[in-house]
Amino acid sequence: MSTLDTPFDAAQPRDRKIAARIWSRAYATVDFKIGMVVFLTLALAAIFYPMVSGIDPTKMAVSSKLLPPVFMGEGWTWARPLGTDQLGRDMLSRSLVGLRYSLLIGISTTILMVAVGAMMGLFAGYFGGRIDTVLMRLTDAQLAIPMIILAITILGVSRPTIPSIIIVLGLSGWPIYARVMRSAVMSERKKEFVRGAMVLGATDLRIMFMLILPLVLPPIAFVAVLDIARMMIFESVLGFLGLGVQPPTPTFGNIIADGRKYLLNAWWIATVPGIFLVLTLTSINLMGASLERARNSIYGGA
Amino acid sequence: MFIARFLARRLLQGALIVFLVSAVIFTLLRVVPGDPVRLMAGGMAPEALIEQIAEEMGLRDPIYQQFGRYVWGIAQGDLGQSFVRPASGAAVGGASFDDNTRSERAQVWDLIAQAAPMTVQLALLAMVFALIVAVPIGVWGGLRPGRFPDKFALYISSIFVSLPNFWLGIVLALLLSVKLKLLPAIGYGGFAYTILPAIVLAVEIAPFIIRTLTVSVAAVMRETFIDIAAVRGLTRRQIILSHALRNSSVPLLNLLGVQFSMLLGGVLVVEFIFDYPGLGLLTINAVMQRDFPLIQGIAIVTAAAFVLINIVVDLCATAIDPRLEY
Repeated sequence: MSTLDTPFDAAQPRDRKIAARIWSRAYATVDFKIGMVVFLTLALAAIFYPMVSGIDPTKMAVSSKLLPPVFMGEGWTWARPLGTDQLGRDMLSRSLVGLRYSLLIGISTTILMVAVGAMMGLFAGYFGGRIDTVLMRLTDAQLAIPMIILAITILGVSRPTIPSIIIVLGLSGWPIYARVMRSAVMSERKKEFVRGAMVLGATDLRIMFMLILPLVLPPIAFVAVLDIARMMIFESVLGFLGLGVQPPTPTFGNIIADGRKYLLNAWWIATVPGIFLVLTLTSINLMGASLERARNSIYGGA
Repeated sequence: MFIARFLARRLLQGALIVFLVSAVIFTLLRVVPGDPVRLMAGGMAPEALIEQIAEEMGLRDPIYQQFGRYVWGIAQGDLGQSFVRPASGAAVGGASFDDNTRSERAQVWDLIAQAAPMTVQLALLAMVFALIVAVPIGVWGGLRPGRFPDKFALYISSIFVSLPNFWLGIVLALLLSVKLKLLPAIGYGGFAYTILPAIVLAVEIAPFIIRTLTVSVAAVMRETFIDIAAVRGLTRRQIILSHALRNSSVPLLNLLGVQFSMLLGGVLVVEFIFDYPGLGLLTINAVMQRDFPLIQGIAIVTAAAFVLINIVVDLCATAIDPRLEY
């Protein structure tokens, strides 16, 4: 028994798991910390500000419409730090509620994407053969259709709701994960610990989910952080085209689309939510890039 | 000989991919709710007329029959007629179903052929801009990994990736064409109208080029032949230009093939913002109008372009680096 167990231990030569090592190496960088601080600040503001301030992002006040942000132009007030839009709705509150939806959709889409892709890749890589061929041709075909065309085609002809947006974006993004997962699984399944487990009589499912998945998923999941940002952009693009979450619910996309009409007399409506979006995305991308670098340097054997 | 075999294999695979794409899009469009005939004939048309038109166009047949007809048409080079768009300027469809002035419907192929060159022009210019900005930053970062240039490349690309194209487009239009009146922004009336959309698109592409270049240049510079080149008496400039750049241009080419769909996605949005009459605007309008043949046609043409670009990329890669196999 013990001789068969040793190869399994040899797969993790160091006492700490790869995931923990990637994490701590990324956490040690300045970029990651900057990203994390900015991200947490914005996320906390998005969660608590609309509640604490008691400002309803959809409440109209026509008397105070088109107020500029503080220190910009005439008629600004501290009560509306980032100004108001064409219907007198508070821009700060609207942007933060938009950020909530953006984060919600971005994160759940990425989770769905990674889950579907990982499952597909796991089965294709482990069993190989015909399943593998069919799956890979399917991902080829899907890579050939620009994801956004697929998304706007589906959302354009059916009604866009939050679940449908998450499903459409998630299902159109999985092929890349399926590929990465497949190649990772294929290289793992030839190793001794898998053969050892087979000799011990473990079922295929047990090997796949108890041995291989915990080993190959974390590195892939770390890089998926970058995709949260990509999905947030997609969500706002859809909103901008009028195919995202529908008004009156404020999202970055539909606020900016609205603001475009008032660009000449009220530039802040289109620009303010964009700044929030850019800050959030930069913070996520900084964290994601550090995680990616940490992963590469560990796999590169540094 | 090898090239012929390679081409035959890849073209065959490509045809399969294009077929799959068209099958997926075709089925998708027919299972989602929404009747295009209602849109074509207008809201006031009686139900019987709708059914009659749908019957005539074969839209009530089973999906596989419609698909068979469609594929047969494609095989003969016919992508069908647009549901909504007229061949001349006059309106097709709209509120009045018995309007006699309705003209012939436009051929999908003609619509795509008109729009595609505009998009190619935009994409090429954007690529040029992106390369001008990204190559120096990326190479510089790759030559000094872990130090300031590397960090700079990381920060710049993180910021560029985080700029949503539609927002950047609006902000640049506001700054450059409204406030400073430097460039025209909306519509198309000459080459100058391509510049602003191309800048926005370039910002979207540049981070990928920077990231790929920093990684691959750094990897090449660790190779032994770089050290030996210095011993052979080559100057650092020669080493960088002929060894490092040449070797790292292969990953760059592959990036172009893989990121093609991302580029198209960007084109879509950018053309929509700037009202630039290319394929992207055509696609968005087609989707909004439920113009099924046009959506299908665009999907097929882009899939075919994807396949062809990837074949060309692989050919170029083997030409640059003969060690690669077909």
